[in-house]
Order: sequence, then structure tokens, then C-alpha cells
Amino acid sequence: MRPVYELYIAIRHLTSRRRQTIFSVLAVGLAVMGLMWSQALMVGFTDEMYSKTVDRMAHVTVEPKEDENYIHLYRKLTEDITHIDGVVGVSPVLAGAATFEYKGKNKNVAIQGIKVEAHDSVLHINDDIVEGSFRDLEVTPNSVVVGDALAEKLGVEIGDTIDASFPEANPAALKVVGIYDSGTPLDETIAITSLSTAQDFLDVSNVVTTILVRGDDRERAQAISEEIDTMGYPASGWKETNPEIIQTLKLEGTSNTIIMSLIIIIASFGIVSTLFMAVMEKTKEIGMLMAMGVPRRSIMIIFVMESGILGLLGAIVGVMVGAALAIQMGSYDYGMEVMAGISSIPFVVRIQDAVIIVLFTFLLNLIAGIYPASRASKLKPVEAIGRE
Amino acid sequence: MSDKYIIQIKNLTKIFGDGVEIKALDGVNLDIERGEFLSIIGPSGSGKSTLLNLIGILDTPTSGTVLLNGVDVTKMSDKERSRTRNRELGFIFQYHHLLPDFNALENVMMPLLISGVKSSKAREVARKVLDEVGLGDRMEHRPNQLSGGQNQRVAIARALANKPSIVIGDEPTGNLDSKASGNIYELLRQLNREHNQTFILVTHDERMAAKTDRIIRLVDGRVAENSINSG
Ligand SMILES: Nc1ncnc2c1ncn2[C@@H]1O[C@H](COP(=O)(O)OP(=O)(O)O)[C@@H](O)[C@H]1O
Ligand SMILES: [Mg+2]
Repeated sequence: MRPVYELYIAIRHLTSRRRQTIFSVLAVGLAVMGLMWSQALMVGFTDEMYSKTVDRMAHVTVEPKEDENYIHLYRKLTEDITHIDGVVGVSPVLAGAATFEYKGKNKNVAIQGIKVEAHDSVLHINDDIVEGSFRDLEVTPNSVVVGDALAEKLGVEIGDTIDASFPEANPAALKVVGIYDSGTPLDETIAITSLSTAQDFLDVSNVVTTILVRGDDRERAQAISEEIDTMGYPASGWKETNPEIIQTLKLEGTSNTIIMSLIIIIASFGIVSTLFMAVMEKTKEIGMLMAMGVPRRSIMIIFVMESGILGLLGAIVGVMVGAALAIQMGSYDYGMEVMAGISSIPFVVRIQDAVIIVLFTFLLNLIAGIYPASRASKLKPVEAIGRE
Repeated sequence: MSDKYIIQIKNLTKIFGDGVEIKALDGVNLDIERGEFLSIIGPSGSGKSTLLNLIGILDTPTSGTVLLNGVDVTKMSDKERSRTRNRELGFIFQYHHLLPDFNALENVMMPLLISGVKSSKAREVARKVLDEVGLGDRMEHRPNQLSGGQNQRVAIARALANKPSIVIGDEPTGNLDSKASGNIYELLRQLNREHNQTFILVTHDERMAAKTDRIIRLVDGRVAENSINSG
């Protein structure tokens, strides 16, 4: 096999001018570290945003067939959806409107009739309960759980009974068995009952208006909704129902990456100037290498390699330090809230980010090395060796 | 094409400068035999280095041709030139021009590595050549740790490492005292006899020139004298 003397010479050049080499590696390393760190922060932040928003909503929403008001065969459909790959929760919901009255105060609300366990598996409602319990909905007939804001508006407490009515509905007296706080404006308008209570009130039987589905991964929503579509019911993933979420997060991520990439480009062009100096210093050597039979192409390769090696080393050092820093800072508990509900900064270091950053920096430095390298390769041997 | 002549120079002219033209070589004709030990002398500025650089394919002539082993070097691609420099030519300059980042052994290995020889084999050959030039005990030293004469010996070893058919030296001892330079000449002469390589040396030391097979005297870019030494 042909020994690669170009690499041998390139490495020796780098180890001989150790100071410049270390400096170049550190410069690139610093920039890459910044990119890695901020990328980890971005990913962590985005993840956090998703779990604060998307993970609290149904991943997939199933609606009645076109021209129908209800899903009629919801038991069978619910069962079928449960068997789709990746589905971890399915909740049939009957929604309708009602007017609540308590001690002379009126409020129009949206009633949702649910099966508590199924609904919790999709929306983790039990996490939001502040008083009483959702489970009591299925123990106590004609009971209701209301949002804290709604409870305040009506002035009800656990144990109080609300009069519910609506045109074409069967009036009912609903006992408050729980109060929840989801932290959203919906706390003022949504009242939750058992599915059978809702069916009685709305005067329907064996129907629901929607089926809510949760997958094991929010990115699976699309696949799941397509599968449900094939069962004959229109289903849509959370990205379709809430396109603005994606938009906002994408935008922030992109501008951040662009800024950090620019910093790396600047650092890489620092290497170009170091390399130019090296080429000037080594003019005689380059001439002598040519006299020894090194073709121009190989002179070029030697200097591009030097740039590439510097970039690669800088990238690896930078990614490692950046990742370490992110992991360290991410595991630190600040003892107070840094973001809504969390007391540590949510860094997420992804292998694929590290690999992409390293490849990007390496390629960039190969390209940056081309100019000084081609200058070196275009030297004329006699002139390079010089007349003394 | 003749097998007898390793180098054939025909009507070689080299003009420098774009404003004021300097005719460094003016229609030089010269044939050199395989195994010859030849010296080029002449006053400073007479074109000796220019001629040597053209023979060594380090520069291109304004007109005329240089044939190495019957091949016109002016028509070669960069790849062919590099290959010829690597395989057929060994260079020794007035200043050693060793690679400062490599030790003596590595410098001597370099032409071999460039030609694609495995590094273990290159190391072995380089050791032998360094022994031959009397530097067997300084192999691990870098150029800045060696004296002028020692570096020049390393440069000679490097020029010889790939067993080139032609060794060209541009005042190879010009930088050394007379004792050291006498030793180097003896060494080159001995190597020439042992390996039947062709040596072309530029010198302005007439006493040294007198010891070579043939003297070419250049004056103003022309061959003014071409005399075979009897002694
Ligand atoms: N690169 C160059 N540019 C301009 N003039 C040159 C160059 N190289 C050599 N010359 C001129 O060509 C002439 C011959 O130079 P050279 O071959 O170096 O002479 P020598 O080696 O015999 O001293 C001199 O006048 C020198 O100044
Ligand atoms: Mg000269």
C-alpha cells in the first residue's frame, strides 16, 4: 500500500508549530462549543415547550363522519384504535353545552362526558385536580368536576349542587365532586361529568362526539391519525389542529443555528490566516518538496489536510466541552423556578446534533483550507527555493 | 536519441524579466554522458544556476530543449515532472534546504516516501545512505541541531536516497570551509564511482573543478569552454 506521505507531512507541520495549532483548535473549539451548547439548550427548550403544550393535549382527535353529529359505534371504534401501534390512551368524549345555575348565578359552560380512567390516560387530568377527585364522577351519580375559575364564578365548593339545563336537554342537578386547575382559560368554561351523566343530560344514548387519542410519542400522531382515517373516521394530529405551535418553535431554532454557524465560519477563517502564514514561512520548504518530486496536487492536499485536521480537532473538542457543559448545567438544580414549573434548565444533548456539527465544521475547514493550499501549490519551484 | 547521453541540451535560452530583459542563457548546447562527473564554472551571473535549474526541471526555458534520457522535459505534465524529479534527479543546493520539522533520517526518507516506498523500507535505505555519508550517529537530530557541514551531508544523502540517475549540485560546498568542502567533494566523487550516477556540480572553486571529468565554463550565458580533464 502507498504510504500517505501527505498526511505525514501535514501532521508534522501541525505538531511543529504547536502554539498556532493549539490556538487554532481552541478558536474553532470555542465556537463549536457555543453551537453545541446552544443547540442543546434549543432542543431542551423546544422539548420542554412541547411537553408543556402538546403533551397536555390529545395527540389525535377523531370526529364524527361527515354529515353526522355523533360517532355512533364508538365502543368498537375505541377498541380498534387501542390496537393501533403506539397508541397508549383512547378516550371517547361526549361534548355539549349547558347553562349552570347556582344560587342565582348563571354561566354557560361546555360539558364533557368522559370515562375517567380512559380520559386520564390521554390528558393526565388527575394531575390537575386540586380538590376532590375525578374518580368520584363514576361513584356518585349526577356529579361534576369544574375548573377553579368556574367554581369561583359560580361560588360553588365541593359538595354543592348545581342546576344544569339547556334547550332540548334534560335538566339535572349536578353535585360538585372535584375542582381542577389546568392553568388555562378553559378552567372557566369546561365542566366534566361521567359519560353516562352527559348522555342522560344531552338526551342521547350510546354516542360520543369525539374520541381523543394519545400516542407513546407525539411524533407518531400523523401515522396514528392516518390509520384511523382508514377506519372511516376523520382524524387529525395535533400538528393539523395547532399549526402555530410548530411555526413558533421552528422559527426560533433556525435563527439561533444561523448565528452560531456564522461564528464557526468566522473561527474557521481564522485558520485560513494561520495557514497563510504557514505557507509564507514554508515557501522554501514547499520549493524543496517540489524538487523532491511532490506534485502540485499533493502540496495542495498537505495544506488542505492541515486545515481539515485543525477543524476536526476543534470540532471534537468543542462538541465534547459544549455537551459536557450542557449536561452539567442541565443537571444543576437552581432551587427556584427558571421556567414555568421547572427548577433546572432543560438541556438535551443529541448525538445527531454532535455528529452534524462535527461534520459541518470539518467540511467548512476543508473548504477554507483550499485557498491558502492552492497558493502553496502554485508556487514555482525555483522561485520558492530562492536564490541565495 | 542516444543511449550514451543521459542529458542533451539544444539551443537553450532563458530570458528573465518583462521590463528589462536579462538573457541568462543564450543558445546553450551541451551533451552529458551517463556516469560523467562534470563541473560548471564561470563568473557570478553567468547563468550557471539557471542552467542547472533547467536541467532539474525546476524552471522552464524561454526556448530550446532539455532531453533527459531522450525525453523532452519541457513537454512534461506536472505529474511527469514531479515523477522525474523524484526518480531521476537528486538536488543539492548551496544551502541544505532540509525540512526543519523533520530529523536527519526523516529528511532522507522523504524522497522514498514520496515515491511510494513503505516507511520501514525507506527507513532502512535512509539509514544506509546516512552511514555512507558518515552521519550514522546523527540520524535523530534535526537540522537546527547539526552543523553546516553535517546538514550538507544530510542533504547529499537525501539527494542520493532514491538512487537518481542524475545528481545536480549548485555550489554544494559554497557554504562550507575548505576542509569540509574538500571532504564533501571526495565523498561525491566516491559515490559517483560506486554507483555510476551522473554528477553535475556548479562551483567557482577552480581547484575542485580541476578534479572533475569535464569542465564547462559559462560566460554571459554561453558555453565559453568545454574541456575534458586528462588528469
Ligand atoms: N528569477 C530571476 N529573475 C530575474 N533575473 C534572474 C533570475 N534568475 C537569474 N537571473 C539573472 O540571470 C543571470 C544569471 O543568473 P544565475 O544563473 O543565477 O547566475 P550564476 O548562478 O552563474 O551566478 C543573472 O544576471 C541573474 O541576475
Ligand atoms: Mg548561482
